[in-house]
Amino acid sequence: MNKMVITKNLVKTFEEGRVKALDGVNLEVREGEFITIMGPSGSGKSTLLNIIGALDRPTSGKVTVDGVDLSKVKNLDEVRAKKIGFVFQLHNLLPVLTARENVEVPMFELGLSHKERVRRAKEFLRLVGLEERLDFVPTKLSGGERQRVAIARALANNPKIILADEPTGNLDSKSGDEVVQLLQKLNKEGRTIILVTHDEEIAAHANVIYHMRDGKILKHRPSPANQELA
Amino acid sequence: MRFPTLILKNLLRRKTRSSLTTIGISIGIATIVALGALMSGMKSGMEGILKSGEADFSVAQSGVSDLQFSKIAEDRVEEIEALEGVKKAVGAFMTFYPVEGNPYTITWGVNREDLSMFGVNIVNGSSFSQEYELIIGEVLSKDVGKAVGDKLVLGQEEFNITGVFETGSLYHDRGLALSLKKLQEMEKKEGYVMIVYVELEEGANIEEVCHRIEEGYPDLVTIKSVAELGKVDKGLEVLDAVNLAVSFLAILIGGIGVTNTMIMSIYERTREIGVLRAVGWKRKRVLSMILGESMLLCLFSVPIGSLLGFFGVRLLLLHPIVGGLLEPIFTLDTFVRAFVVAFAVGLVGGFYPAYRASKLSPGEALRYE
Repeated sequence: MNKMVITKNLVKTFEEGRVKALDGVNLEVREGEFITIMGPSGSGKSTLLNIIGALDRPTSGKVTVDGVDLSKVKNLDEVRAKKIGFVFQLHNLLPVLTARENVEVPMFELGLSHKERVRRAKEFLRLVGLEERLDFVPTKLSGGERQRVAIARALANNPKIILADEPTGNLDSKSGDEVVQLLQKLNKEGRTIILVTHDEEIAAHANVIYHMRDGKILKHRPSPANQELA
Repeated sequence: MRFPTLILKNLLRRKTRSSLTTIGISIGIATIVALGALMSGMKSGMEGILKSGEADFSVAQSGVSDLQFSKIAEDRVEEIEALEGVKKAVGAFMTFYPVEGNPYTITWGVNREDLSMFGVNIVNGSSFSQEYELIIGEVLSKDVGKAVGDKLVLGQEEFNITGVFETGSLYHDRGLALSLKKLQEMEKKEGYVMIVYVELEEGANIEEVCHRIEEGYPDLVTIKSVAELGKVDKGLEVLDAVNLAVSFLAILIGGIGVTNTMIMSIYERTREIGVLRAVGWKRKRVLSMILGESMLLCLFSVPIGSLLGFFGVRLLLLHPIVGGLLEPIFTLDTFVRAFVVAFAVGLVGGFYPAYRASKLSPGEALRYE
């Protein structure tokens, strides 16, 4: 299978080198894989996710996403718009927009017609089970529903990879499970999922679990779910 | 959802702040509209004085700061009339007298036989023929409640009203006219007129005649159109400059207000801007969104400011002194100017915040708490 993400000796420092968030991270994620990254706060999980997601550039090292060497790309916006879908811990929906409108937001960069944007947004909201909530603003939705809108938004541009940074962190366990099941469903459809979490139970849904500490990947192991499959 | 809808919804998120900013800019717009209308009114009034009735152009003393200071010897009128291409030249005197509470009633001194040159049409009674007789404009007649046969005090002297006239020009119709000789005497300027109206012969070249007058009489200046008003009215030029300065101030103050509002807004929305970048928005789109918000904020102020300006001037005119002196004219030009100013304020005021928002690194914006 193709390698979807490759990082080589990734280093990322902050505050003029005083804080080392990533210290030589090597990671390979195959296309269609579902991995989780675990680790304590400050271990560099989110920093790694931001670099893979083309939100930040590494201080040194190399990242390749879907065959594109990000260090050679001048404008990362396009990479984010076409290849990557983000889901954050806080849903980060625009409060004044309805669920449908929030899902449409990323599509502005794709040059789609208004009609096409609406059609696609409805389709993705149906996919996440919110076809009844199209015209609800975030404050009228439950926490789990909001996170599902955020997932629909991440899907808006049909990305190959979904990066989820503690998407269940603010949810009760039932809503959290629903979100993870949704991610699994997307994975089964062929999307590569990288999930950052604190929660062992959530992590167990992945194919591979990576552990990070002090900016390094310590170990990885196949998740229990994967062992069962094997 | 269309992109402009998103811009509008963002503004409506903070209704109070958006409203207050819009009101701030509206006041600037109102000032521009009000000043513009008053300026148009004054120019139109001046034009009415300079281009009366059948006259093709007028002549005044050169180098005066205000038409009222113009002083031309009466002999000159005959000399101008003798010039080639000139059909008729008529001297007149104009000043202001307080009449029944209106301190600035335009008062003309004209020879009885020259009244037709001014387009004066007597609608009631007859023209003046004696020293202590005068005719009053239709509008003034209604304003002060005086008609043919009534008496009117002008300066220290009492006059009989012999007729009511209309010219079609509101400026003139709010005034009165009496014999040139009497007004010269009252103003102690016997033998002088203030302005000479010139009617050309058919086919005569206006440029040539004006050139001949200005060359032959360096103390005289010709005024063919309202654009040349500055030649005899420095006050109008000063007001024009003041109007321009006020417009600039409005842009500056409005612009700072908009900048402040938009900076606060992007500061609050830093994370959100990070999210927009994370989902693939280019810098240019963030820039368009913020700039769009600031411009929309300013464009809202065009109708509000225009209404404020319109009613503000009306309110100002309720004051008898102002009302008697000024007649605002709301031209399309004034509103276009207000629109352009609002557009400029939005663009200038919004540019820095928009630029700053677009420069945010998406990673840092997302880390922002």
